[in-house]
Amino acid sequence: MCLPGRAVAQRVTAEWGVQAIPAFTETNVVPGGRSLGELRVVQPAVMLHAAAFGDRLRLIGTVDFEKYTIPHGELSPGSWGESFEDRRHPHTLVHELMLVGGGRRLFAAAGKGFVPFGTDDPMSRPTVRFPVNHHLSQILERAVILAGVRLGLVLLEGALFNGDEPVSPGSWPAWDRFGDSWSTRLTVTPLEGLEVQGSYAWVNSPEDRGGAAPADRKASAAARWERGRWYGEVEWARTATADGAFIFHSVLAEGAVTLGKNRPYVRLERSDRPEEERLFSSRFRTRRPLFDNSILGITRWTVLTAGDALDLKWGRLRTTPFVEASWIGIARVGGGVFDPQVFFGRTRGVALTLGVRLATGMRMPRMGRYGGWPSEATGRMDMPMHAGAEE
Amino acid sequence: MTSARAVVGAILLSMGAACSSDSGTTNPPPPPPGDVVFVDSLPIPQNYGIHDQFIRDGLAFVCAWNSGVMIYDVGNGINGGTPANPQLVGQLVTTDTLQGQHIGARVHNAWWFHNPVTMEQKYLFIGQEGSGTIGASSSGDIHVVDVSDLTSPKEVALFRRAGAGTHNFWMNESKAILYAAYYNGGVVAIDVSGTLSGDISSRMIDTLSFGAGDTYTWGVQLYNGSLYAMDMVSGFWQLNTANGALSVAAVGNNVPERFGSDLWVTNGYAYTGTWGGFPRNGVSGNALKVWQLGAAGAPTLVDSIVTTGITTVSDVEVSDDNKLLMFSAENGPNSGFWFYRLTDPAHPTLAGKYLVSGTTNGIHTATFSRINGKLYAFGARDPSGAALIILDVTSLDQ
Repeated sequence: MCLPGRAVAQRVTAEWGVQAIPAFTETNVVPGGRSLGELRVVQPAVMLHAAAFGDRLRLIGTVDFEKYTIPHGELSPGSWGESFEDRRHPHTLVHELMLVGGGRRLFAAAGKGFVPFGTDDPMSRPTVRFPVNHHLSQILERAVILAGVRLGLVLLEGALFNGDEPVSPGSWPAWDRFGDSWSTRLTVTPLEGLEVQGSYAWVNSPEDRGGAAPADRKASAAARWERGRWYGEVEWARTATADGAFIFHSVLAEGAVTLGKNRPYVRLERSDRPEEERLFSSRFRTRRPLFDNSILGITRWTVLTAGDALDLKWGRLRTTPFVEASWIGIARVGGGVFDPQVFFGRTRGVALTLGVRLATGMRMPRMGRYGGWPSEATGRMDMPMHAGAEE
Repeated sequence: MTSARAVVGAILLSMGAACSSDSGTTNPPPPPPGDVVFVDSLPIPQNYGIHDQFIRDGLAFVCAWNSGVMIYDVGNGINGGTPANPQLVGQLVTTDTLQGQHIGARVHNAWWFHNPVTMEQKYLFIGQEGSGTIGASSSGDIHVVDVSDLTSPKEVALFRRAGAGTHNFWMNESKAILYAAYYNGGVVAIDVSGTLSGDISSRMIDTLSFGAGDTYTWGVQLYNGSLYAMDMVSGFWQLNTANGALSVAAVGNNVPERFGSDLWVTNGYAYTGTWGGFPRNGVSGNALKVWQLGAAGAPTLVDSIVTTGITTVSDVEVSDDNKLLMFSAENGPNSGFWFYRLTDPAHPTLAGKYLVSGTTNGIHTATFSRINGKLYAFGARDPSGAALIILDVTSLDQ
């Protein structure tokens, strides 16, 4: 029934898409003070967006196969979360499965997916390498019920969800914890192409599925511009853990422009992350649940990433080779025993990634928002990672 | 003899033995391991799990984090419990706030106070471990629980120290003084005589720090008139204490290559662990240090035992007859209980081990207790799979 692009069967519409990114990453910011290069397939995903009743009922699903392609994570200096450090964790197999009902002014959604908090998921942004602030600026893969109301230029969303983050790529939310956390997000679109959001979340025990870990109080503010050839975003985020015992800040700015088939992009961020005890079996992994709820210190990562993507097309296959390079600086914030010079053998380094984004079908939609729905179809939104080549 | 020992040591190493030495000395060849008999694994609610256990008079005070303190009969007889069949007697979730913020009870450690003067066995002191940054900051109060009725314990008092959190305890019970390691706050002595009620923070007798940036104290122990303190940053210290007034007797700064952890002092020797949550100078915390105490009680390092396949020696204890040394180990394939004979207390020899594997991180704390003539080892198995592990090690105690 599904064809690449949109399939229409009477009053039901559906779109699907597939993508995968074979990428080689080399970096000298590696535990133990060495260089490491790896070829992996990252962000392999199948997406299905279906709609019925004149788009008043929508199903949004994304299956992410990183459980199989990067079970030990993606080499990514500075990335952290879900017991991974300096490797970006694989996302869960059922990345997103949401049922959305309502219209443009009033809508509600339920399922497993994104919490209305912060900015778009990095998968749907230009830079392939995830930012350090992923766990400061997004909350995802939760059992969530949300509602949104739009009044003119203002969209207000609120949600209840489970605080526990995934414990493995095959895990589901702890259903008995549903409703122990909440979030709200206010979005204003004062101009065409300009979107400003502020959001707040209270996340109970994200790092201990049993609920014994401290809560996070998270805040985010961002301005996003996407119009014509240009895309840009600036964001700020703050997470206070354990009632302020630990505070993590992040500021990030990124942009991209379409120049024919080329899409150069740049991102600069400065983000804090907790340093935790690494496992004997892997210095890229940490203990879960976090032991004694104590950390070894906080490091501040300054990462400047620049890249270029070339959008090509072979039949139905969109082929987008890219290259991106990062300069990375690591500094200690406050006290603690963690010393990046000892652990990494350096406080400055680089990372280089060569790869190709392969995709067919629908383009990657904005991930993390269920209220912005194009009137003509399901999920057809231009995304900043896409170059100008159109089908 | 030395060369023969070296040859034996090399053979053992080549066979993958876990015991070696890092101080230039070589252990005598270990005798054949005795029998460590598994007795029971008591599951603890996965509300973080179990952190420590205080065993006295056949009662186990299980420090079960956000599940509070759980009192088990493991041979006392009050509820028909045995080491093989522990029976829950009572439970209390202590105050789950810290300075007005909800953080969970976080019951970390305990000490059941037997007052030899009044013969009271009324108070249980509980350490609450709040969040902290290792080496820099900490939080958590001391909660006082009335256990006159073991089936219905009640929290009656609280001790708080601003800017620091409590860790392990020791008591001078005859003088009713509680000594507490206080991480970045150093060491604290508290008067716990008489009736304890409400905020007892004003009962602090004295406190001692080892210097800014050099203080993160794990544990304390009284021995032969001195208070010994193991500091994660600045090493092993001997302190004078006269009715709780603290002063330095012998300077630490003696474990520069590793971070320190727990301690046990007995029979003219001290045994201290090392912590490897972060490798200090690139060195893991897989060593047990052996110290000989001089005439005045000052420690001198005489040997070390390095265990491969772990990163932390998290708890240390010697049996009541000074024959058997035990330490718990975490983070690695050799995590678990390790037992050494103290035939020569300066050079312990491997007697046995009980390793835990699978999803757990290891054994975080381990405690001896002699019940009905048998020597048992009780250990807190880390999550996931948190449990109180009980071993019969009587046969090792020869």
